[in-house]
This record gives sequence, structure tokens and C-alpha cells, in this order.
Amino acid sequence: MKSTKFSWLAWRRRLLNYTATGLSLLAMAFGLFWLLWILWTTLSLGVSGLSFSLFTQMTPPPGSEGGLANAIVGSLIMVGLATLIGTPIGIFSGIYLAEFAQRGWLGEVIRFMNDVLLSAPSIIIGLFIYAVYVTYRGHFSGAAGVLALALIVIPVVVRTTENMLRLVPSSLREAAFALGAPRWHMIMYVTLRASLAGVMTGILLAVARIAGETAPLLFTALSNQYWSTNLDKPMASLPVVIFKFAMSPFEDWNRLAWAGVFLIVVTVLALNIAARAFFGRKTV
Amino acid sequence: MPTQEPKLTTQIRFQDFNFYYGAFHALKNIQLDIYQGLVTAFIGPSGCGKSTLLRTINRMYSLYPGQRAEGHLFIDDEDALANDVDLNDLRKRVGMVFQKPTPFPMSIYDNIAYGVRLHERLSRGEMDARVEWALKKAALWDEVKTKLKQEGTSLSGGQQQRLCIARGIAVRPRVLLLDEPTSALDPISTLRIEELISELRGEFTIVIVTHNMQQAARVSDYTAYMYLGELVEYNKTDVIFVKPAKKETEDYITGRFG
Repeated sequence: MKSTKFSWLAWRRRLLNYTATGLSLLAMAFGLFWLLWILWTTLSLGVSGLSFSLFTQMTPPPGSEGGLANAIVGSLIMVGLATLIGTPIGIFSGIYLAEFAQRGWLGEVIRFMNDVLLSAPSIIIGLFIYAVYVTYRGHFSGAAGVLALALIVIPVVVRTTENMLRLVPSSLREAAFALGAPRWHMIMYVTLRASLAGVMTGILLAVARIAGETAPLLFTALSNQYWSTNLDKPMASLPVVIFKFAMSPFEDWNRLAWAGVFLIVVTVLALNIAARAFFGRKTV
Repeated sequence: MPTQEPKLTTQIRFQDFNFYYGAFHALKNIQLDIYQGLVTAFIGPSGCGKSTLLRTINRMYSLYPGQRAEGHLFIDDEDALANDVDLNDLRKRVGMVFQKPTPFPMSIYDNIAYGVRLHERLSRGEMDARVEWALKKAALWDEVKTKLKQEGTSLSGGQQQRLCIARGIAVRPRVLLLDEPTSALDPISTLRIEELISELRGEFTIVIVTHNMQQAARVSDYTAYMYLGELVEYNKTDVIFVKPAKKETEDYITGRFG
């Protein structure tokens, strides 16, 4: 009597286990299916547009040969500068939140504002820079694009830096203090060092994010048909060129757009893999 | 063990000492003299305040707003609670080792050199000598002398704890505070740490918090029994364990309570 009851229970549990496992596998397969489809489409369509001239020639008028050189360089300049500006601000703010303002109203306010900035639609950031910088200067410019992208980098870096620093056990902080270390020294050499892999990951993810941002560049850097590295002039970028070329009726423009998509997808994928590799080495 | 009434010098003195976590009165009217060069153990059940008392000696509590001490704490006859005390200098004189090993994310060599660099400017050769001296004192030198460049976190738990002791010794403190230093270690590592404590005795004043009464009996010269934030009894370890004056102490050490 007792044993039959037991086996019935075991059978029921096994069934439940299989059902749950099956459902979660199904959910994963559903999500993965679309992701792989997107990757496949972009990569296969993008590969057909790849050529050497992509990196050497400018974006062409419809019907003639050309490449994406000005857009690639524009993207590199703007993403690079935005990262250089946004990263230190983000790291220092993250340090402040994690090490100096764990409690207290000022920390709470900054943390809340940062969360708002983090979840703000990027087009709003673009419009903001348009209103305060582009209209003030009177024309679109690469510098405006840099500012908009930097504003997107900052909250991401602040958030990851704070989270990573908070993962450092407080006993490590106390151990440094117990040796007579001043606070700044403890942060520089102990806690920041312990969370370096995590902070680097945050920076890479921020770069990956702004590499594909279109909306904040539409009203700021605009675009440029020609080769230009002048930050005070409109500057081409991959996302904006893709936006323009993909919507056009010209087939050669469409092909270039797909090639641009390919470049961005591969770059973002590489950055994400690099971020994972960094985080994998993390040992606290 | 103790010879006929050795001459004792007080290194740390608690006088009318009280401690608060916010409104909670954690240590009540502590009177205690800790002697130079000896090993003093704080024992008592969980929450009795033994760790709290230990952490006041290097003013660790000052990191946390809301924690405060009243009364007097003298270290080498200097008032350690005064507002103008240089905490970094105080902590150079009073080292601390924690319950869990806390190696810094850097090489074994740099772990030791970290504290020294905060307080002294040494040449490369002097620093090498200091690192070797500290690691030898902590009985770790033979195990790590060929891999000083490796990460401190690559060592085993027991080795990490000896690394932390070496790090504390390297700045040449006068007092070494050990906060349950073996509670996260296996029996063999524990034995090595206990041997180490016996070897460091005399050169440093050692205060150890332990929840292991046998450990207190093995390593210490003096023992303080605490309960509910009060210092119940303080005497030579032999006396506390063989012929305690108070019934509460006897109940605790015989295992009837706690």
C-alpha cells in the first residue's frame, strides 16, 4: 500500500519535471529561432555587399559605384570620442555611488536620475542635444553626435561600475582600512582592481550599444556624403547611412545598407564576446 | 607556563568603556587591561560582543556612521578615542586579521608590500627583505618563495589566511588583532595558525576572538569571558579554565550553556 503510493508520487514528480523542462526548452527554442533568423538574414544579405571598395570609397549617389568609408570612419570617430568622454565620468560617478553614498538622500537621487537616463528613449537624448547644442551652433555637427552618444554611455557605465563595486565583499575594504589605507587608496588599488573585469565589461557593452544607435545621431551629426573628419561639420555614420539607404528604392544603395548592417552586427557580436571573455576571467 | 608573577606591562586599557550600535547598547562598562607581548583571548557565546570589543581597538567601527564608543581606550597610554587621532597611523600600530581570508586582487608579493608602501618608503632591496621577513614570520615563505608573482587568491584557504597574517605583520604593528582567524579553515590549517600564534607571542601583543574554547585554552595567556555585552570574568587562562571565580563562566566553559 505504502510502496504503491510512493511510486505514484515519484511518477507524478517525474511527469511534472519532464513537462517543465519541455516547456522551458520550447520557450528557449522560440526565442533562439528569431534571433538566429535575424542573424542569418543580416549575415547572408550583408556578405553579398562586402567588397574591398566598401572600406575605400565614399557613399555614392544612386546608380554609381561606392563604399561606406566615410560612414565607417565617422562611426569610429564618434563612438570612440563618446566612449572617451563618457567612460571616466561614468566610472567616477559609479565609484561615488558605491563607495561614498551607499546611503543618504544625495546618492538615492543620483541613482534614480541615472536610472531614468538609462531607460530614456535614445531619440529624446538626440532631441535634447539638438535643442541645446545644434540650435545654438546653428548647424549639425559630429561634435553634437559625440555628445549625444556620450550621454548614452554614461548611465550604462555608472550602473555597471556601481554594481560591480558593490559585489566586492566589505571585508576586503575593511582589510585595506585595517592596514591604515586612506579611502582613495583603498578604492584605487583594492576595490576597483577587484572589479576591473566587470567594469571593463560594462564599457564594452556601452560601446556595443552606441555603435548601433541611429536616433540620437539623426538630429545631431546628421550625415555626410563626403569624407569628413571635421567635428564641426555634419558627419556620416553607419546607422544613419543604413537608415537612409535601406529605405531608398535604389538596389545598389540597399546592398550597401546590408553591408553596413553586416559590419555593425559583427562588431557588436565581437564586443559582446569580448565582454563575456573579460567577465569569465573575473575572480573576486 | 607563566613563571612566578612575571612583570606585566599594560598595552591596551579599556576604562568605563561603552559601545553603541545606534540605540543598541552593545558593550557595557568594560574595564580591561591587555598586557604587552601576551596572547589574550575573548570568548563567549554568539552576540556577546567579543568581536565588537576587538573591532574598537583599531577603531574599525569609525567606518560606520551610527556606531559610537564612550569612555576611555588607551593604547600605549595614548587616548585612542580622541577626535584628533590619526586613524591610519593607529591602524599601522594595530594590525588586524579577519574571519575569512581577504587577499587583495594582486600578487603575493604586492599583498605584503601594500601595507608597507602606505607607511614607509623602502628601496627595492629593503622591500624584498621585508616581504621575505614577513612571510617567514607567518610560516609561509617556503611554500610561496618560488611564486611571489602569482595572484594571492591562487593560494589555498589556510595559506591565504597566513598571507593575511604576514600582511599584517609586515607593517610592524605592536598589536595584532585576530577575529576568529581559523573559523573558516580546516583542522590542519587551524593547527598551523595556532602554532604561528605561539611563535609570534612575545614579539607582538595578540588579541584573539574565538568561539572555540579549546583554542583559547591552547593559545592564550589571558582569557576574557563575555556575555551580553558585559565582561564577566578576566584572568589568566589557566585560572579561567580550571578554577573560574564565577558560576556563569564555569557553566559556559564546561558546555552547560552557550
